[in-house]
Amino acid sequence: MGVVARTGVPDRHSEVLAQQSTDMPPIAYAAVAPVLIVLVAACLGVLVEAFVPRRQRWAVQVALSLLTVVCAGAALIRHAREINTGGTTFADTVAVGPATLFLWGTLLALALGAILLIADRSIEPGGAFVAETNAASGGTASRHPADAPGAASAEVMDRASASVVGMRTEVFPLVLFSLGGMMVFCAANDLLTMFVALEVLSLPLYLLCGLARRRRLLSQEAAVKYFLLGAFASAFFLYGLALLYGYAGSVKFSDIADATAGSLRSDTLLFAGLGLVVMGLLFKGSVGPFHLWTPDVYHGAPTAVTGFMAACTKVAAFGGLLRLLHVAFRASSWEWHWVLWSVAVLSMVIGVVSGLTQRDLKRMIAYSSIAHAGFLMVGAITLTERGLSATLFYLLAYGFTTLAVFGTIGLVRTSEGEATHLSDWAGLAKRSPVVATVFTFLLLALAGIPATSGFMGKFAVFSAAFSAGMGPLVVIALLASALAAFIYLRVIVLMFFNDPAPDGPTVSVPGAFTTAAITLGVVVTLLLGLVPMLALDWASVGGFVS
Amino acid sequence: MLALVVSHLLVALVLSLVSMRHSRAIYPVAALPPTAALCWALAHADSVLAGSPPVTRMNWSATLGLEFAFRLDTLALVMTLLVSGIGVLVLLYCRWYFGTPSGDAKRSASLLLAFAGVMFGLVLADDLLTLYVFWELTTICSFLLVGQSGVSRESRRASLQALLVTTLGGLVMLLGFIVLGESSGTYRISELAADPPDGAAVAVATGLILVGAFTKSAQVPFHNWLPAAMVAPTPISAYLHAASMVKAGVFLVARLTPVLSEVSYLPVVTAVFGLVTMFLGGWRALREHDLKLLLAYGTVSQLGFLMVLAGSGSYTGELALAGMLLAHGAFKATLFLVIGIVDHQTGTRDIRELSGLGRRMPWVTSVAVLAAMSMAGVPPTIGFVAKEAAFETYLGTGAVAAVEAGIVAGSVLTVAYTARLLFGCFASKRGAVPTEAHPVPAGMLLPPAVTALACLVLGVAYPLTDELAATYAERAAGSSGEYHLGLWHGFNQPLVFSAVTLFAGLTLAAHNARLNLLRSRLPRPLDAQRGYERIMGSLERLAVGVTGRVQVGSLPTYLGIILLAVLVVPGSVLLMRVTPIEQLRWWDNVLQLPLALVILVAAAGVVRATRRITAVLLVGVIGYGIGGMFIVGGGPDLALTQFLVETLTLIAFVLVLRRLPARFTETPSARRVRLPKVLVSLAGGVFVGFAALIFSSARDTPSRVSAEYLEHAEEGTSATNVVNAIIVDFRAFDTVGELSVLAVTATGVASLVLSSRSARRRKHARSDWRQLSATARPTAGEHGERGSA
Repeated sequence: MGVVARTGVPDRHSEVLAQQSTDMPPIAYAAVAPVLIVLVAACLGVLVEAFVPRRQRWAVQVALSLLTVVCAGAALIRHAREINTGGTTFADTVAVGPATLFLWGTLLALALGAILLIADRSIEPGGAFVAETNAASGGTASRHPADAPGAASAEVMDRASASVVGMRTEVFPLVLFSLGGMMVFCAANDLLTMFVALEVLSLPLYLLCGLARRRRLLSQEAAVKYFLLGAFASAFFLYGLALLYGYAGSVKFSDIADATAGSLRSDTLLFAGLGLVVMGLLFKGSVGPFHLWTPDVYHGAPTAVTGFMAACTKVAAFGGLLRLLHVAFRASSWEWHWVLWSVAVLSMVIGVVSGLTQRDLKRMIAYSSIAHAGFLMVGAITLTERGLSATLFYLLAYGFTTLAVFGTIGLVRTSEGEATHLSDWAGLAKRSPVVATVFTFLLLALAGIPATSGFMGKFAVFSAAFSAGMGPLVVIALLASALAAFIYLRVIVLMFFNDPAPDGPTVSVPGAFTTAAITLGVVVTLLLGLVPMLALDWASVGGFVS
Repeated sequence: MLALVVSHLLVALVLSLVSMRHSRAIYPVAALPPTAALCWALAHADSVLAGSPPVTRMNWSATLGLEFAFRLDTLALVMTLLVSGIGVLVLLYCRWYFGTPSGDAKRSASLLLAFAGVMFGLVLADDLLTLYVFWELTTICSFLLVGQSGVSRESRRASLQALLVTTLGGLVMLLGFIVLGESSGTYRISELAADPPDGAAVAVATGLILVGAFTKSAQVPFHNWLPAAMVAPTPISAYLHAASMVKAGVFLVARLTPVLSEVSYLPVVTAVFGLVTMFLGGWRALREHDLKLLLAYGTVSQLGFLMVLAGSGSYTGELALAGMLLAHGAFKATLFLVIGIVDHQTGTRDIRELSGLGRRMPWVTSVAVLAAMSMAGVPPTIGFVAKEAAFETYLGTGAVAAVEAGIVAGSVLTVAYTARLLFGCFASKRGAVPTEAHPVPAGMLLPPAVTALACLVLGVAYPLTDELAATYAERAAGSSGEYHLGLWHGFNQPLVFSAVTLFAGLTLAAHNARLNLLRSRLPRPLDAQRGYERIMGSLERLAVGVTGRVQVGSLPTYLGIILLAVLVVPGSVLLMRVTPIEQLRWWDNVLQLPLALVILVAAAGVVRATRRITAVLLVGVIGYGIGGMFIVGGGPDLALTQFLVETLTLIAFVLVLRRLPARFTETPSARRVRLPKVLVSLAGGVFVGFAALIFSSARDTPSRVSAEYLEHAEEGTSATNVVNAIIVDFRAFDTVGELSVLAVTATGVASLVLSSRSARRRKHARSDWRQLSATARPTAGEHGERGSA
């Protein structure tokens, strides 16, 4: 097309007419190395899926994924040790600062645990994910199981052949793509990059939700619901993005911040745009009233994927929200903060009140995650350095606890699959004291009892919010967490005081992978509860850069 | 000090690991850390009394301003005597009580020790947050200790209630701590006490903290959890629910009395709630037949008494409190341990079944009598000494006299249930068969004997007790007084009250049977238990109602709620800040009108369509209509793109639709929900359309980019059409991107075409097998047929 040939345009227009500036913008490879490693490995994973023989795929994919996360973590640590001020790269579209590095570290550590959970094949023989149904072995494979509504019954017949074939290993590249998207999401320096990252992180998640081997219909329904509502949320985000561009004349956070700082431009555009953009983020973070997908999706998705979603997606969504609010909208906070106040209150109330009625553990934890999203909102809208570090710490603590919770939920099973109904957990302490004790500890952490990271997180967030002058909100938050404690304590009582049902579920002996993941979660929960400085110091090194 | 606390926990951890094998020998080992704590506290008693308490501080989290601060002052010393002293004795007692190596015995040792550790930390804490941490840990330990035995429905309900009430109270108290700490700038208790804060925030904080204290110390209306927790093994009840944990609330009030000296309502509230609790507990104790429940209600009553004294803030009141704390710890632990022996050796603790134990267990009986004397306030025990001081505190007129009357009435009940306990447990009853009992091992009797002796020694050696109590009272009240603990203050009003109390109490006990008959006829106006159940029930109902309406699992509902949220928040912003739209024209070109009509009709048709293909085609019509708008608006190239994309999407849709049923499978929604659906979606559409109008008019300057493009199109790219210039020159990279998107879409479409063709081929190849499976899976087979037909 002769783009480069005609270079008659004077230099001063280069910022608008970028046709002749063919030189690449400088890229700080050291800073973005973790993201690059994850995304490259995700692409490699796709190639593995295409070229490695089926029987070796699982081993190769697991090794590749774990190696990726570890390498990315090493690159992150190396970079974090070198500089602390941070900067932008990729022509100002990505900003890597101390807070972003912390979020990346959190995401990588949580992803490590999640991959371990996903990789486990010992609890459910052959893995928890749908097997490749068009496999050559066995003639029982149905023709198109995924889109025929009656296929669920056919899936049951497939179980025998499934364990022979092994689990579907596309899961791993999907997780890596999603992880890469999450990391970019927390580092995006303009709304467009953020939107792209949002889609990169969401699309694999929609797929992952529908891959459960057991209870296929539930899983597929969850995936469809998540996808449709998620598409709506993305559309709102995009609409808001357009409005903000109309307001500030740029999608860059720093330009939006400048525009809000002092201008006579129409506020209507700003607030409607902000409202729609934030709505997209709140949807991902499952904050009420945009939480509606959460219980159904958490319930339907394979438990390991739920763990990944609950831990990592929450970190990414709140990381993005924190970045957006801190970098772009701090100056205009006076006008919008009441909206987010009410969102935080609504989320806490919805989570707690609805959580009280749940009879299914996965749904219960889903509601608890909505309540926790409310607590996180309290920290996110303080807009102080203290509030930022407290929220980051809370994300880390909550992520590990909830990951271990889902890991543990996956252990209690009947012949039908996971036994997530509360009555199945009655008297668990008699059957398996260790699992019951671990789960009790995790629930206490979710309730925010001292000596767990949950208490430290709550205390950090609430005291930061209190000192930021949000007393009434802290009061509501504390009352909500007092009520929320009821939800968890009830389960503990159930496990310790009830008689186990005679034909109740059995507790699987977890394989090495699941054991490692649960241990990781429990140890971090305990450590952060006793020695919070380990993470808190790092979280308070500095804020976001733009 | 931190080391001592941690050593408890570490030993507990080690014991829980080794307890599998040596279940009996671990109790003496478990008693070592509390012994060390006790010795350490006694060794520092001199410096404590001299006013230079040992202090330890350790930074926990500088960023959060958290620290572990410990301080052994006089109150802490008194409480340490109880916590560690009785802890040692209970642990030694457990060795005999948990005779057979059961699961309970194994866990109890380490849990009891851990509890002793956190309780020790609690009484030493000099920082509000440190205190809160240990406070909640005691709740957890208590829950585990109560919950380990018994799987009855009753005990489940009880432990949940105990856990709930105390945890909720604890969180409310944390809120109070945060308000107090943030408003006065420090969380250190000694600093707060040195400079008592003032103001509305402190008054609020006091109320919140009192909720925590009342729940922990089982004050009305939170008292029900304590009797319910009596399902625990007796030594655990003795330690947790009599001697140490339940005193934490009283301790907290006593600890914060100097801090909250500016809060005028504190003594009034504690006095009212304390007296009600004292009376109610005593009243219920007279009705119980289970010795342990009798004692439990007695504990509730005594805790009310202690609460009255703790909140008084006066020198004499605090003096009485210190004496009463020691007295109550000693006699209540003794009595619980004695009842544990009775229960253990006879197999029952029901008053109606026990008879003649006094003769069969003379030593046990004398130990119990000694403790009971202290409980009833008979000289020369510490109970009498402390009660005298309490009577002295509230000598006066008006409101003070009312408190005095309340205390006297409560004490009468105390004497009565004490007599009932002693008589019911040990006396030979007419017509009853003497209860069989195994002989009591000396090791089992020793711990209660020690505490019973303490009741006597602390009373007889009252100058010693007084030194401790008076030092505490002076510091707590900030002033010293004339009164001192003693056995004899001459013939005065308190002595008269004591005598009246004893006489009236014994009379009451003698006529208790008749009284019980009367009481059973009385209506029960206020039952806290029913209130608790009603609150929990209504909470449950509310939650079910809300969740059932909102979380129905239906996608349209979810979408509706999200749309509503959009309408409420950005929509309300739009309405509030609405600016008149300038230069609003209804149309630019008459051709727009029919196009708009076509789009609207197609949109309405999509909603009404029952066949999938119709819906897709109508969506296509909307797209083409918008393309037509572009043409009319003067953008043929844009329209061309739109047509292209629309066609491509349509083809992809049709390829997919071949595999789906022809009609939408969902049932038409009920008339009741149809109207809301229509309204919400209409409102959503109107909002978006209206917003688009406003937003496009809100733009105040023409785009800088457009101007630049126009300016440079001719000169820079020699193009006369600026759109062409943008597509192939200015934004050439974007075009490449769009091309690659098109390529991906084309690949997708191609694979759809190919897969449907290969599916058809496979159909022929496997037709034999499919005929077989079609009978097994009719639905899947049918859909396949129809899709590929």
